[in-house]
Amino acid sequence: MFRKKHKKQTFVLNTLIEDNKEPKVTSGKIFSSSKSDFIEAIKHKTHSPSDLIVKTISPTITVVYVDNIVDNQSLNKLIIHSLNQINNESPEIIKDILSIAEVDITVDIDKSVLAMLNGNVLIHVEGYSRIVVAKISSYEARSLTTPENESQVIGSQVGFNEDISTSISLVRKYILNPDLCIEKFTLGAQTNTTLSLLYIKNIAAEEKVNTLRQRIESINIDALLDSAVLAELIDDNSLTIFPQMLLTERPDRFCDGLLNGKLGIIVNGSSMAILCPYAFVEFFQSREDQNLRWFLATFIRILRFSAVFLSVYLTPIYVASLTFHYEVIPQPLLVPLSESRALVPFPPILEALILEFFIELLREAGARLPTKVGQTIGIVGGIVIGTAAVQAGITSNILIIIIALSALASFTTPSYMMGNVIRVLRFPIIIIAGIWGYYGIMLAFCLILVHLLRQSSLGSPYSAPFYPPRMIDWRDSIARLPMPLISNRPKDTRTKNQDKFKTEPVKPEKLDKLKVNE
Amino acid sequence: MNKWRFIILSVCIITLAGCAETKILERISITTLIGYDLEDNDKVSTTAVIRQVNPEFESKVDTISAENYTSKGTRAKINLKTSKKIMAGQLRVVLLGDELVKNDIGPTLESLSKDPDISSSISLAVVEGKAKPLIEHKYENIKDIGQHIYMLLEQNVEREHSISSTLHEVSRVYYSPLSDLILPVLKKKDDLVEISGIAFFNDAKMVGQLPSSDGFFVKISRDNYKSGILEIIINANGLASQSDQNLPDEVPISIDAIKTVRKLKLIDSSDLEFDLNIKIKGRILELHPDVNVGNPRLVKELEKAIDKKITSEISRVIAYSQEINADVYGFGEHYRSHVRNSKLTSEKWHEIYPKIKVNVQVDFETIRSGVFE
Amino acid sequence: MKNTLEISPKDMINAFLLFFVITTCQTGVGIQGFQRLIYADAKHDAWISVILAGLSSHIIVFFMIKTLELYGSNDLYGIHQDLFGKHLGNLLNFIYILYCSVAFFLILENYIEVISTWVFPRLNPKFISISLLLLVIYTFLGGLRVIVGVSFFSFLLGLWLLPVLIFPLKFSNIEYLLPILDTDIISILKGAQSMTFTIIGFEIINIIYPFVKEKDKVKRHVHLGLLVTSFIYLTVMLITLTYFSGEQLAKTIWATLSLFSIIRLPFIERIEFITICFWLIIILPNLCFYLWAAYRGSIRLFNVSSKKFVWIFSTIIFIFSLFVQTRIQINTYTTYLSKVAFILVFIYPVVLYILALMKKKFSGKYGEKNE
Repeated sequence: MFRKKHKKQTFVLNTLIEDNKEPKVTSGKIFSSSKSDFIEAIKHKTHSPSDLIVKTISPTITVVYVDNIVDNQSLNKLIIHSLNQINNESPEIIKDILSIAEVDITVDIDKSVLAMLNGNVLIHVEGYSRIVVAKISSYEARSLTTPENESQVIGSQVGFNEDISTSISLVRKYILNPDLCIEKFTLGAQTNTTLSLLYIKNIAAEEKVNTLRQRIESINIDALLDSAVLAELIDDNSLTIFPQMLLTERPDRFCDGLLNGKLGIIVNGSSMAILCPYAFVEFFQSREDQNLRWFLATFIRILRFSAVFLSVYLTPIYVASLTFHYEVIPQPLLVPLSESRALVPFPPILEALILEFFIELLREAGARLPTKVGQTIGIVGGIVIGTAAVQAGITSNILIIIIALSALASFTTPSYMMGNVIRVLRFPIIIIAGIWGYYGIMLAFCLILVHLLRQSSLGSPYSAPFYPPRMIDWRDSIARLPMPLISNRPKDTRTKNQDKFKTEPVKPEKLDKLKVNE
Repeated sequence: MNKWRFIILSVCIITLAGCAETKILERISITTLIGYDLEDNDKVSTTAVIRQVNPEFESKVDTISAENYTSKGTRAKINLKTSKKIMAGQLRVVLLGDELVKNDIGPTLESLSKDPDISSSISLAVVEGKAKPLIEHKYENIKDIGQHIYMLLEQNVEREHSISSTLHEVSRVYYSPLSDLILPVLKKKDDLVEISGIAFFNDAKMVGQLPSSDGFFVKISRDNYKSGILEIIINANGLASQSDQNLPDEVPISIDAIKTVRKLKLIDSSDLEFDLNIKIKGRILELHPDVNVGNPRLVKELEKAIDKKITSEISRVIAYSQEINADVYGFGEHYRSHVRNSKLTSEKWHEIYPKIKVNVQVDFETIRSGVFE
Repeated sequence: MKNTLEISPKDMINAFLLFFVITTCQTGVGIQGFQRLIYADAKHDAWISVILAGLSSHIIVFFMIKTLELYGSNDLYGIHQDLFGKHLGNLLNFIYILYCSVAFFLILENYIEVISTWVFPRLNPKFISISLLLLVIYTFLGGLRVIVGVSFFSFLLGLWLLPVLIFPLKFSNIEYLLPILDTDIISILKGAQSMTFTIIGFEIINIIYPFVKEKDKVKRHVHLGLLVTSFIYLTVMLITLTYFSGEQLAKTIWATLSLFSIIRLPFIERIEFITICFWLIIILPNLCFYLWAAYRGSIRLFNVSSKKFVWIFSTIIFIFSLFVQTRIQINTYTTYLSKVAFILVFIYPVVLYILALMKKKFSGKYGEKNE
């Protein structure tokens, strides 16, 4: 829908502007050598915003920039000060004089306007149609903070922020490697958002990089405000409920992915980076698992997976058992169950749906409310649902335990996106359990299984490493075995370089040999 | 988008019309115990214990009874008398009045086995007299008679005081032509229900009964035995020679933590002679204070006396079952499985059975004797 | 023998996945109640029949693979066309497609029968068949890889059922098995024949063979799969025979499910209700593979896309399921299918092998002369 092949955004912009013709801008693309024409052209292009500053330094030299996005100190010291000392030099000489790293000379009016909006200063010299573009941008960026949505106890506590250069610098800090490739793209007809594709040359599979590059290039979209939008635009199947690409704000998780042969995308203005291809199981793994001892990590992973299972199936099982299969309830449970249900006027399916709805409301309200008021939600939820609902006879207290447990379980998923899916997935299963009991649950289970089997993430099977079975990757899927046993990179990324490290320790004799060779 | 319309349509149809029959827990009456009696006019009367949940947060236990020609027919009739659907999926115990079992147990067993609602792990028991009064009686200390009888049977089966009589085991023996069934017998005694004995069946009819004190001997000659307690009175003549003190002629002794290993051997297939060898290991729990169990020779004598006593008891129960022609010990099954092409039919076996010879041999071994000698 | 199927490596599957394909194709609705049928012939020696049936399946698969190896990379349909010419070959192909469709239909019907008997007696079976068919369609449209994936998960997830069968062992009586070989050999063989409907499924190798990557490893994995299923059947049979007494077993329709009925755990009772619903995932690969086999044959006869085929196929199956209502009907048809399957699966492959071998020798000589 959104993909059209090879259409450059700059052209789009160009045609838009050409629509309302202005006689003074003669060629459209090339600046006029006269000062007033130049200023007029810039003003026309940008519709003379109030923060556009046009400064005449000497009769021949004019400086144009947008206030607030340039660094005033550099502007004064490095540009105005330098320019004051010269007179009527050619742009080439000015370029050499300025002690600024990023200086360019251009004749393209559109490019220079875009550059100006991105924090560049345009320097025009009377008599030349070439202008100097000097970058002294200074954006207000949030300082680095701990990742809010993916907190972890052991491990680094830094998260990406909205500035792409900061984010990339964080990655560079983790992976000091010339093989780390960064490709820059610009997307969004209106927003002109920059984004970077990151991968490690000798690890990531070439064909995956090509596919992803192609997918990004083929996007034709108006605005790209967040990486989540991009993830949806470039995934394999946009109709499925399951996310196929990971959105993370943790640089360590991002780099771990890159080192495992995955590809990453960082979008300017978004604090979430994209990692792909990502398999279903990997959404339930946390970076922290690598930091813990393997036994503990395995335990926690198993805990997480059983939490997912509980979260999806506990309420449906309750509904099905109470609606159809009272036979399977053991005698000691039968009496408390039926007594707690005695006052409830609704059938179990409605009861469960109402309560699930309550919990979802609470969660949503909690996410929207300011942090200071957020605590109120806990109290309201605790009292309203915990006590009042039972006393009013709307729900049974056993169901409340079950719903609370499954809600709690759904929050253990380390990926927020996947956690949401797990919670939403429950609703259709509750309904089908209320219609067909255990048969319905099993039907839903099979449907989900088949659905997962049919998905792919950037061409890699979504259900890997279980199917297609890659036994060697099972060691780091539900379990996390000791380091020497998980020295390989995951197979489904089809990396060129399969070994993370050599498992055998280097023996002293070998070291000696190496020395001799040197 | 035609496909989507179709899928949505079919999903709607399924959800709206295809909803399975609901059996919502608090809107059904759960039967935990059913009693069957045979009435004079050949009708079956059914008495059911029904647990109903009412809004006062307490479950009420009701008993309802009805008569009809089939047991399922009575269920339909019972439904006419309750406000909630009767469901048998949680049925735990079926009680059979003794007139019914003296007539024919077959149809009841068949109807129970056929019903997919009913688990094959439910227990069966015979009631001395009619089941209906036992169920309907308002006991002073028993709130839920269904639960009570279930626990009573289960507890005693677990500790091997009573024979296990799950529907599966019963119908397994019933459908096997060469063996006969036994069932525990329940009896109402004032304000209590007790397991009073063991009912012996010949094919589908109950033909005899032994008191529950003989249950131990029936059990160990049927199968291996793992726990339980036994009290017997042994003849102390042998012991006297080893003991310094004067002993009465008969000494009561109680043994627990019993483990038995039963071995049945067909030694003569033409004359039908069986060797029943039972090895018992147990702990002596209670004994006359003058018998010193620290004395190995005395213990030997003691064991001998116990052997003798148990042997005679077992011979007695076997003789009884031969007399009423109920092969509850699996002799027939053993014969069939060890003689090729026996082509034994039920009639033929029941003709032979009273005449077979069984040599009982018991070997008791004391393992320990409490914490105080 | 020139005609080979060209299959893109993307659609190929690893040879070891055949193990799961074979085991899951073989276990299905049959295992729920096969004991009674065999007991009817072989009495308490039924377990010997199971072993014999297992052995014969190994032998037949040996011939099947031999035949397929003669052709390199082709399926049964292609072999038919090559051996018997276009018309006769297509007729045989049509029969085989029909066989697959009927097998599909009866698996569906048998499962619905179990559900309607135990779990939802008053639910209209139409809805179960619609839901099952939709699930199968969705799986099928994912392609062979997804179907194999389903069978892989079906095997792994179904494994928990085996240890559960330990519980009924408490009631087992070994004497029911004695004396061994009490029944005459003819009856035991007959019992083995009654096993047909239960043990079939491995004939999928005829169709899936060209899709396997490592052809040299096919034999090993297929035989391993057969061995495992035979072992499962034998275990279930032995447990059943010791658990039930003779006459009782003869009256128990779904003995395996009845085995579950006695199990009572502290947190759950009546496991058979769960197992019956769980069986859905066990029969799903069965259904998908028969559907897929029918599809592979149909594209040789007609020009049809997989989407079109599966919808037409499901509609026909659904219409037929409206006519089959009673258990007697299902049982009769199952017996018929069992007889046809015995010929098609257990006898025909040997004949086919001999024919193929003869043709190869003949045409080989012919070819030499021509040159």
